[in-house]
Amino acid sequence: MTLRAIDYQAVLALIQSLMQEAKVVAPHQREGERQWSFEEVTEPANVCLEYTSTVLPPKKYAFPTQERFLRYELGESPKAEPIIEAEPLVLFGVHTCDIYALNCLDIAMTDEHVDPNWVARRKQMRIVGVDCLPDEYCFCASMGTATVHEGYDLFLTPVDGGYVVEVATEAGEEMLTNIPTKEATSAQVAQVKAHLNKKMQQEHKLDCDVSTLPLHFSGVADSELWEQHAERCYSCGTCNLVCPTCICYDVLEQLNLALDGGERVRVWDSCMLEEFATVATGENFREERSQRLRHRFFRKYSYLFTRYGQPYCCGCGRCVRQCLVHIDPVPILNDVIAESQKGATVRGA
Amino acid sequence: MALNVSTLKAEPNLYTPEMAALTEVVPQTELETLFKFELQSGNPLGHEPGQFVQVSCLGIGEAPISVSSMPCPEPTFDLCVRNVGNVTAALHNMTAGDAVGIRGPFGHGFPIDALKGKDLLFVAGGIGLVPVRSLIQMVLANRDEYAAVTILYGFKTPGEMLFRDEIAQWQEREDVDLRLTVDKPHSDWDGHVGVITTLFPELEIQPDRTKAIVVGPPIMYRFVLQECKLKGIGDDDIILSLERRMRCGVGKCGHCQINNKYVCQDGPVFTYNDIKFMWEAI
Repeated sequence: MTLRAIDYQAVLALIQSLMQEAKVVAPHQREGERQWSFEEVTEPANVCLEYTSTVLPPKKYAFPTQERFLRYELGESPKAEPIIEAEPLVLFGVHTCDIYALNCLDIAMTDEHVDPNWVARRKQMRIVGVDCLPDEYCFCASMGTATVHEGYDLFLTPVDGGYVVEVATEAGEEMLTNIPTKEATSAQVAQVKAHLNKKMQQEHKLDCDVSTLPLHFSGVADSELWEQHAERCYSCGTCNLVCPTCICYDVLEQLNLALDGGERVRVWDSCMLEEFATVATGENFREERSQRLRHRFFRKYSYLFTRYGQPYCCGCGRCVRQCLVHIDPVPILNDVIAESQKGATVRGA
Repeated sequence: MALNVSTLKAEPNLYTPEMAALTEVVPQTELETLFKFELQSGNPLGHEPGQFVQVSCLGIGEAPISVSSMPCPEPTFDLCVRNVGNVTAALHNMTAGDAVGIRGPFGHGFPIDALKGKDLLFVAGGIGLVPVRSLIQMVLANRDEYAAVTILYGFKTPGEMLFRDEIAQWQEREDVDLRLTVDKPHSDWDGHVGVITTLFPELEIQPDRTKAIVVGPPIMYRFVLQECKLKGIGDDDIILSLERRMRCGVGKCGHCQINNKYVCQDGPVFTYNDIKFMWEAI
C-alpha cells in the first residue's frame, strides 16, 4: 500500500485530468438543500467531497435505474440482439459503504451466470474513494463497512491541508501521473488513523457482532416483531430504491411507435411492493406487508449473507434517511437479536 | 475489485432469446393450448424434464413456461400454456409459422437418476400435469428402467382435462396404473369424483421403493403431502415443482426467491425435504 499526500489544488487537477479521458461522476450538493447526488462533473470546483450521503447510491452507474438490454425487430423474420452499453467512467468521491455495496453486487451479478451488462460497466469503471464522518443514520461501524480493502483505485482521507491518498491499483497509480503529490508524513498518517477512530464512534449500532446476524435470524420468522414494525410501513418501496445493495429488477417491453420493433428494458423493482411476488393466476406469495418487510430483512441479513458470505447491507442508512415514517433497520435488527437471545434462554432453561 | 470482473467469462447472450417457429397449435381446454415449436438453430433444446424456458412474444413480453415434452434429438419441443397473462394471451393469438423467442432451459429438473428402478407415483392437479408430462413421456419411453408407475390426475371439471389422446394411450397400457378424478359430480363424467386425495386410500404403496412426483396448485400440496406421509413416503422421496413470478430466469432479478432459494436456479423442482422448513414455499 502506497500512501501519498495531495493538497486541494492537486485534487482539482486530478479531477480535471480524469475528465480529459473519461466521464467523471462525483457528489454535488443540490442547490439550497442538505442533499447530495452523484452527477457528471463539468467543473471540478463544484464537486463536493465532504458530504454525508447521496440520495441514490453510485450503483446507478453500474446498474442504471432504466437500462435497455435487448433490441428486436418484428415482421417476417423477427430477430433480437443484446444491447450492452458501457463507457469508461470514473466514480470520484465514493464512501466505503458504497464501495462495499458494489463489491457485494459483483458477486451477486456474476454468481452462476455472468450478467453481461453489469460486467461491461464494471470493467470500464475506476473508483476514487473518499472517507467521511457518520451522521445519525449511518451504522457502517456495526456492519464492518467503515473500512473497505478492495474495490477502489485511489482512496482519499481528509487531513489538514488536503488528503492522504492510498494508491491501491496500477490504474490508481496512472491517475496520479503528472499530479503533484508528496510522500505522506507520519503526522498525516496519524491523522488518517484519528479520522478512522472518529468515524468508528457511532451511537447508531447493532447489539451483536455482524458475523452472527444470520444466526439471530434463524429463530425469528414467526415473531410478532415483523407485524409490529410493518404497521407503520406504507409499502412504498423507497427503502429498496435508495439501497446500494438492492438489485431486484422488473422487465418492461418498449414497442416503438411504428410497431415494427422495440427494446426490452430493465428497471429497478422493490420487494416491498404488493405485486412483487404475484404470479399470473393472481396468487401472491407475500401478500401481507409484514411478510414483505420480513423478506427484505431476511434477504439482506440472512439469505444473501448465508449464500455469499457477507451481509447485503452496507450500513449507509439511506433507507431510514428517506423513509416517510422513519423505519430504521437498526432497532429492527436489535429486536431480532433480542428476540433470538430470549428464545435461546427459554430453550436453554 | 473484490471480485475481478475482468477475468470472468461474459455471457453476452444471457438475456437474448433465440428464435423458434410455432409449428402446430393443438387446442386442449377452454383456457389451455398446446403449442409445438421448432428452434431455428436446428439444435435440440437440450432440456431435462421439469426445466422451464423463458418465452418471448417480442413486443409483448416474456414469461416462464415449463417444457411439456420429453427431451429429444430434434429441435422440437412442446409448451402447454394457460391463457392468463399478456404473454400467454399473445401466444394464444399466434398461428403456425409465427415466431417466438426462447431462452433457457433453466433451473433443475426432476432427478432422473434417483427415480430409476423405483415405483413412481405421479400426482398432478390441473395444469400441474404440464411439467409432469415431460417426465411421464420419458419414463414410458424407457419403461423397463422403472418399477410400478401410478399416475393420479385430478381436475375440476371434465372439460379441464389436458392431453386427452395421450391419456387414452396411457390408460390402455397394462404397465401404467392411471386414475383420474374430477372435483365435483358432472353430467359428462362417469369416473371417480372427489379431490385428488380421495384416490389415495385405495393405493397400495411400498414406501421404501416409492418416489412421489407431486405437482399442482398451492392448495393441493398441503393435502397431498399429508397423504404421502400417511403412506409412509419419505420426505426426500417426495418431489415437487414450484411456481413463482420470474423475470430473468438466471438468479438476478429477485422475483422468484423463496426464503434462501431461487426457484429459477435452485428449482423449480425440489424435494419436500428441501422446502419443508421454508415458510414461504407453499
